[in-house]
Amino acid sequence: MIRLGNLFTVAISGAICVSASVSADFDALLSPVFQEHCVRCHGENGKVKGKVDLTKIDSVDHLVGDSNFLEALLEVIEFEEMPPEDEPPLPIEVREALVGHLDSLLDTSLASVTEYPSTPIRRLNRFQYNNAVQDLFDLNVEVFSLPERMCREHADYFQPESGKMPEVVQVGSRPLGKSQLIEKRLGGVAAFPQDLRAEHGFDNRGDHLTLSPILMESFLRLGKSIVESHDFNEKTSGVWKVYFSEPGEGAEIEAVVRPRMERFLTHAFRKPVEQDTIDRYSSYVLTMMDEGESLSSSMKEAMAAALASPRFLYLFDSAAAEPGLASVDDYELASRLSFFLWGSIPDQRLLNLARKGRLKEPETLRQEVDRMLRDEKLKRFCDSFPAQWLQLERIITSTPDRETYPDFYFAKYRTSMHMMLEPLLVFETLLIENQSIIKLIDCDFSYRSNRLRRWYGEEIESQKNEVTRVEFQRVPVTDRRQGGVITNAAVMTMTSGAKRTHPITRGAWILTAIFNDPPEPPPADVPPLKEDGLDVDKMTLRERFAAHREQASCAGCHEKIDPLGFALENFGPAGEWREVYENGREVDSSGALFRRHEFTDVVEFKDAILEEKERFVRAFASHLLSFALGRELEAVDAPALDKISETVKDDDYRFHSLIHGIVSSDPFLQKYTVSETQAVAAQ
Amino acid sequence: MKQTSRRNFLRGAGGALMSLPWLESVSGATSAPAKRLAIYYVPIGVVRRGFFPGEGEATIPKFTSSQEEIKVDVAIKPGEHAFPSTPTLDRLKPVQDKVTLVTGMNRFYQNGTDVHAQCGSCFLSSALPNTITTSAYPLDRTFDHIVGDEIGSVTPFRTLELSCNSHKDNLESIYFDNISWFGTGHVAPSLRDPRKVYRRLFGTKEIQAYRNITDLVLEDAKSLQRGLTYTDQQKFGEYFDSIRTIEQQMDKLDDMKGELSRVKIEEPPESYLPRGEYIRLMGDLMISALQTGLTRVATLMVGPERWNTPFTFEGVFDDPRSHHVMSHNQDKFVDDLIKLDQFHMDQYVYLVDRMASLEEADGSTLLDNTIFTYGSGLGDGATHQYSDLPIVVSGRSGGTLRGGGRWIHCREGEPLANLWLTQARALGIEMKSFADSTGTLPALLA
Repeated sequence: MIRLGNLFTVAISGAICVSASVSADFDALLSPVFQEHCVRCHGENGKVKGKVDLTKIDSVDHLVGDSNFLEALLEVIEFEEMPPEDEPPLPIEVREALVGHLDSLLDTSLASVTEYPSTPIRRLNRFQYNNAVQDLFDLNVEVFSLPERMCREHADYFQPESGKMPEVVQVGSRPLGKSQLIEKRLGGVAAFPQDLRAEHGFDNRGDHLTLSPILMESFLRLGKSIVESHDFNEKTSGVWKVYFSEPGEGAEIEAVVRPRMERFLTHAFRKPVEQDTIDRYSSYVLTMMDEGESLSSSMKEAMAAALASPRFLYLFDSAAAEPGLASVDDYELASRLSFFLWGSIPDQRLLNLARKGRLKEPETLRQEVDRMLRDEKLKRFCDSFPAQWLQLERIITSTPDRETYPDFYFAKYRTSMHMMLEPLLVFETLLIENQSIIKLIDCDFSYRSNRLRRWYGEEIESQKNEVTRVEFQRVPVTDRRQGGVITNAAVMTMTSGAKRTHPITRGAWILTAIFNDPPEPPPADVPPLKEDGLDVDKMTLRERFAAHREQASCAGCHEKIDPLGFALENFGPAGEWREVYENGREVDSSGALFRRHEFTDVVEFKDAILEEKERFVRAFASHLLSFALGRELEAVDAPALDKISETVKDDDYRFHSLIHGIVSSDPFLQKYTVSETQAVAAQ
Repeated sequence: MKQTSRRNFLRGAGGALMSLPWLESVSGATSAPAKRLAIYYVPIGVVRRGFFPGEGEATIPKFTSSQEEIKVDVAIKPGEHAFPSTPTLDRLKPVQDKVTLVTGMNRFYQNGTDVHAQCGSCFLSSALPNTITTSAYPLDRTFDHIVGDEIGSVTPFRTLELSCNSHKDNLESIYFDNISWFGTGHVAPSLRDPRKVYRRLFGTKEIQAYRNITDLVLEDAKSLQRGLTYTDQQKFGEYFDSIRTIEQQMDKLDDMKGELSRVKIEEPPESYLPRGEYIRLMGDLMISALQTGLTRVATLMVGPERWNTPFTFEGVFDDPRSHHVMSHNQDKFVDDLIKLDQFHMDQYVYLVDRMASLEEADGSTLLDNTIFTYGSGLGDGATHQYSDLPIVVSGRSGGTLRGGGRWIHCREGEPLANLWLTQARALGIEMKSFADSTGTLPALLA
């Protein structure tokens, strides 16, 4: 999602040079169209729908300089969202002329941008903290349980270096509603609370990750409890000897402690550490040893402190010498890479390349990304991005009606714990096998357990152990109604209520996940819906909503949302295929995508999305870029997204080319240092 | 499930209601007991026809987020009235002489954020419209924190934030889940696990171990800060603030160590508690903290905004229910929703009663020295209106507030911030204005 600019707070920059012809175009073209087609809903007589007031724009200067708004304007006109269905449409030639004009305005606007977005300094989230500590000590156990990891690996199925997902995988699921998290972890270590996802964003968003005294207490306690855990020992830590082995006879203690501390701090802080910092931590160790503590317990104490140090806890870019855009330094790049793909700190190799100043060489960067994509740590990316992108958390609370769906419930569990793994395994496979991301929409294979295969209609017995460890098998998908991340049991179930589907929820989900164009929350001027005199029991859902859409104030958004949801009406509240409703009325899933691609059933609906696949690719890229950067995207990121999308298209939409595209994009490689004057003005 | 623990926590061995000592070192063993502030926040509004006098026969609103008020023909004169009787307010009967109903208070809805997110996160803030440029929320340092700055600096915990959100799914953002904020975008996260609350308040041992560490990391923080951009330097202030707060906390808890060791409280169970028990237990912990002087400012959110996941409301419904989903179908669930409003009111009554039963050093009660407000950010859960919010105030703030048993109806358009400004004055804080306040509510003051 690109943030919509705020027309009323954007300062009009006098520095922007708008040519006379552009200005004339505005007067000749834009202004009359606004007057004729738009202002009746957007500004006139105090009516300001969608928070867009076009009467405030009386000259081109009001547009240039607000790239976010221009981008939004361009989008609704280009994709024919505005004017809405029941208003006179723009003649094609006017629309095209407008798009051309707005495009050039946007270019002018972007060319004159002087302020860029940057991700604020932010603490690690819980997921990153766990991974970072694990990597720092090379632990073969978890630090603490992470219920946010939905798709648990068993029997090492996740082997990205093989470039192939096994035909059969053993997967554990987070059992629904229970925290039955059976895994080896450090005893006595208590996690801090899970970080919540930003609205339409991810749980790594810089503006949402802040520190409080309570959390800081947790961090102080955590660091200590980790190094003092009885499970933290030579069996669980691969670097135990490196840090904790007793020095040889007659060794000078300081000469032993300092290099160990330097190595540890460099890794923990992800960059070279100054001598006085090493001194400070080393003398802490030496003082404790003077007081009679052992080397290992003194080292542990200092390490616990380092884990509470902001240099470990925070992600940030240092300020460049001069305000403005600058390349990130090599170490910052190493961290950006590792937190993007591994959800963790860089490994020694990345740090070494950074030290040699080589990481930014395009060829090296490419090789390193390829290496990272083949590393098992890539599982962390798969444990964080896709579930949040698809909002799969929502299925945890789905409870289809017990009477209608008795099979959904088994023992103390629910079939949804199998369902949620299906799209995640498809995602992992497409990534590991470097397949086309278009298969996210329309896929010729899937991974299913026997329970799931039965759910999809096969006659097959369920496995016995279906709870902690489930066998999922790769199955070909020949029925195009199924396959991909949209038409699967998980997404269909989680976007439904217990007894009926929620087409609007489904439509909103598609707009958000697939097209990264989340609808605004219902506006403040919606009148209550009138159902008086209608026999709602005998109507189809579509008819009921049609009655609502007759109200002009709802139509604007709902004609965009609803067709996407109704296209999926053949999938019932638990994802099962249906042709008729309970009241005997036939399901009608026909409609048009973005008012241009007509469809009569869900397969044609998929075809319609495929017609718009460039739009999906760009949307998917923007989700990913936002995740990689830990911030919302803005219009200034648009050129980068265009470039990434082109790169992906040129490589048959392969997943890895998308990752390479993200990593080599300007927003990923650059940082922006705000000047103090700008910063003060913004406050 | 350990059913007994909560009761043990409340009552001593003999079953008598236990009174905790007001800790001398905090009060400075001087004159009158300290004034305290507590907030009881109810999410997702209430059902108007069950709560507000004169609206019993009003139309049941349909699913809408229009914020359009329900039209009723009740012209209530601004000023004082006899305490009214409605299905929800009748639950206040046991403590009616101690509570004041305040109706007709409003918050300004600033476009651009979800109604639920803003009504909760800005309940204690209401910054002047469009004065916050770095966020779409009119959200500034919240009232409890501003009060904490003034009256909380002598206690180990400047403020205490509690929440009864036991949802395990990651459904909503922080804005739906927090009423207390250090400042714009900077949440003051709440504790949800009763055992963690207990350990934080009464487990004084473990934190002492961190003194050495904080010295070490503060040096890192200083060198880190020098290399940051201007905006990052501002945000990074949170690290220094946190460490400083923890250090002061350690000092003050150190001073209170002797007294705290005399407090015999059993650690509550972490395990799942029925919802009513859960709210009462968290409330009891809040009251203990206020009573002992561990803090003077506390907020309790009885549930998060929106969050469609159902809760089990034992004794109210047989099946798990989602407050939010029901609120969008008021025509269908109106009776159940009123039950839920009554249920939340019952817990408030329990806590008011508790406060009134706890005697302080000078013979007054905890409630006499506290301002304890019940409130919600929506005037109705279905209309999502920010107008005519349900507010109940109890406590006398050391005698600066008038007694209860009254109903005050505000002037047209009275902002909620006026209530907070009035409370600040009652607490003895010199505050010219607060957020979008336009004045005070003299009728509340003694």
